[in-house]
Amino acid sequence: MLERLRRFGRFVVEDHRYVFLGTSVVAALGVWFSMQRRSDLSFLRSAYAFEVCLYWFLMGWLALSAVALVLKLIHWKDYAEWSPFRRKPLVTVVRWLSYGVWAATAILFVDRAIMGFFSVTSAALAQDKNPSGFLSSIVYMVDKSYGIILQGILTTVGLSVFGTLIAFVLAILLVFLRIQEIDRSDNDAVRFLKSAGVLFAKVYSTVVRGTPMMVQGMLIYFTGFGLLKGTGMTVSEIGAVWTTFRAGLVTISLNSTAYMMEVLRGGIEAVDPGQNEAARSLGLSQWQAMIKVVFPQGVKNAIPALSNELVVNIKDSSVLSVIGVFDLMFATKTVVGIYFKQIEMYAVAAVVYLCLTMVASWLLGKFARHLSVEPQPLTSVSDMNATVGTVAGTGSSEYSLDMKKARG
Amino acid sequence: MANDTAVQGGPLIRVEGLRKSFGSHLVLKDIDLSVNQGEVVTIIGASGSGKSTLLRCMNLLETPDSGHIWFHGEDLAADRVNINRLREHIGMVFQSFNLFNNMNVLGNCTLAPITLKKMSKAEAEDEAKRNLIAVGLGDFINAPATSLSGGQKQRVAIARALCMKPDLMLFDEPTSALDPEIVGEVLNVMRDLAAEGMTMVVVTHEMAFAKGVSDKVVFMDQGVIAEESSPQEMFTNPKLPRTREFLSRYLED
Repeated sequence: MLERLRRFGRFVVEDHRYVFLGTSVVAALGVWFSMQRRSDLSFLRSAYAFEVCLYWFLMGWLALSAVALVLKLIHWKDYAEWSPFRRKPLVTVVRWLSYGVWAATAILFVDRAIMGFFSVTSAALAQDKNPSGFLSSIVYMVDKSYGIILQGILTTVGLSVFGTLIAFVLAILLVFLRIQEIDRSDNDAVRFLKSAGVLFAKVYSTVVRGTPMMVQGMLIYFTGFGLLKGTGMTVSEIGAVWTTFRAGLVTISLNSTAYMMEVLRGGIEAVDPGQNEAARSLGLSQWQAMIKVVFPQGVKNAIPALSNELVVNIKDSSVLSVIGVFDLMFATKTVVGIYFKQIEMYAVAAVVYLCLTMVASWLLGKFARHLSVEPQPLTSVSDMNATVGTVAGTGSSEYSLDMKKARG
Repeated sequence: MANDTAVQGGPLIRVEGLRKSFGSHLVLKDIDLSVNQGEVVTIIGASGSGKSTLLRCMNLLETPDSGHIWFHGEDLAADRVNINRLREHIGMVFQSFNLFNNMNVLGNCTLAPITLKKMSKAEAEDEAKRNLIAVGLGDFINAPATSLSGGQKQRVAIARALCMKPDLMLFDEPTSALDPEIVGEVLNVMRDLAAEGMTMVVVTHEMAFAKGVSDKVVFMDQGVIAEESSPQEMFTNPKLPRTREFLSRYLED
């Protein structure tokens, strides 16, 4: 971090060749800002002469950049020796002028964009009916219903965080069932239990991963409801115990368990079989070798993909709004129902979901680095299964290599 | 110790009629081999001759199809034998070291004694330190296993096996993954071990080691023991043309 800052500092204070390249884009941006409508909070409104100066300074800079570009194109080969822009006094002057370009654009940005936003906001907040502009309508609706949205955000975060944690614990238990292998010292009872465990884990994983979470949510919610009704409780009593949040939490936990189990299995299978052989050769039982040697390494392998499961759950919890869980999606739908402004509110929901997943991803990345494993970037969230596939693939190819050695 | 059945000088481990196949490929064809107490036996042969598989059968990392492996009066190849208990007396060293990557050097050496022999942590660590000093790694006890060089890893692997105080040590090409310069440091440790009277079965391509250290050399070819003799005889006057061909570079005229 400090090194990056120092590099940036050097880049700023040293003369370098590409000063026109980036700053002409900045200057063009500044010119574009100056062409936007002034809001009533604009401070340049009362300093018109100053703004004209800024405008012409930026235009002049663009012209200078154009001249430099044309010269460069004409003298492609001998530009370095020939160009006046590459000589010492001019290079330094141009560098100082480029700071001015940044400053002018920044002033125009504050005047138009930031003051404009405040202006729209204060105007929208003063309205007593939903304004028609996109931004002002969003501001108006968020202001009027932020309580609902906040409650939705809290529910979504609660569902996904607790759901992921519960699922992690369940997945660890389930993956132990899944990876059992019959050992020759096992007696018949142990053999039967191991086979039954493997079968259960396989069936669970297939069923849960093969059905939509929306359907699972419905099934779990109404099954719980029906069971409690069988005990003679009234509908309102059931509603107090079997809340939609609890049903949603159960759904998301059970659903995520199946995915996390497969991720863990991929991580465990990617551990070099030699690790297990070494532990077994010392006399450790299959179970001891698994607990002490293979499993810790397997979990470490799986951490990047496991932590992505939280990001997936933040997004996928939105389908639970069908059983009436008051999550962000349900809150958004509620607000849409009041104001009938679909695009504006769903855009807000999208931005909030994006913020939540980015924050989660950043935190998990820090956590993963703390455990000294390379985190996976957010962009590969949907490739989770592919990643696990490659991890497992590496493992099995190593294994076959080892098999060849063993025969050798 | 369960040494009582093995009389000094008698066979410690005896392989009888061992067969092993991978799929339809028969890798071991009726192998008979006995290793006496205190003996060093090296198994040589071309790649694919089945020598590693034979070694891995001797502590049941590969399950034989048929045959017997007698060790401490029990047949390892019998169904449902308590292999974990018997493996405590058989140390194994692998070609690829297989140090536990999630532990440091000391953890590697103390895991099995603490888990299986119910030793206290301090006791196990004392024993581990003794063995690590013996292999010349006294300064590395707290180093993570992943940070060591190949030669160091292999010496830790030997110390790890010795911490269980095994009666028999199996070496599966222990120097094949090492560069020629550091092969020596591992072979020296093995030489010391042999001099202390450890019973060892060594699969190796290091002919000088086979010749200098072993009491018996076994030449395997295509899944059978083609020739079995003293090192002097094996390296001066092999009986079979195939052995002669394999050893042509090492034979003295």
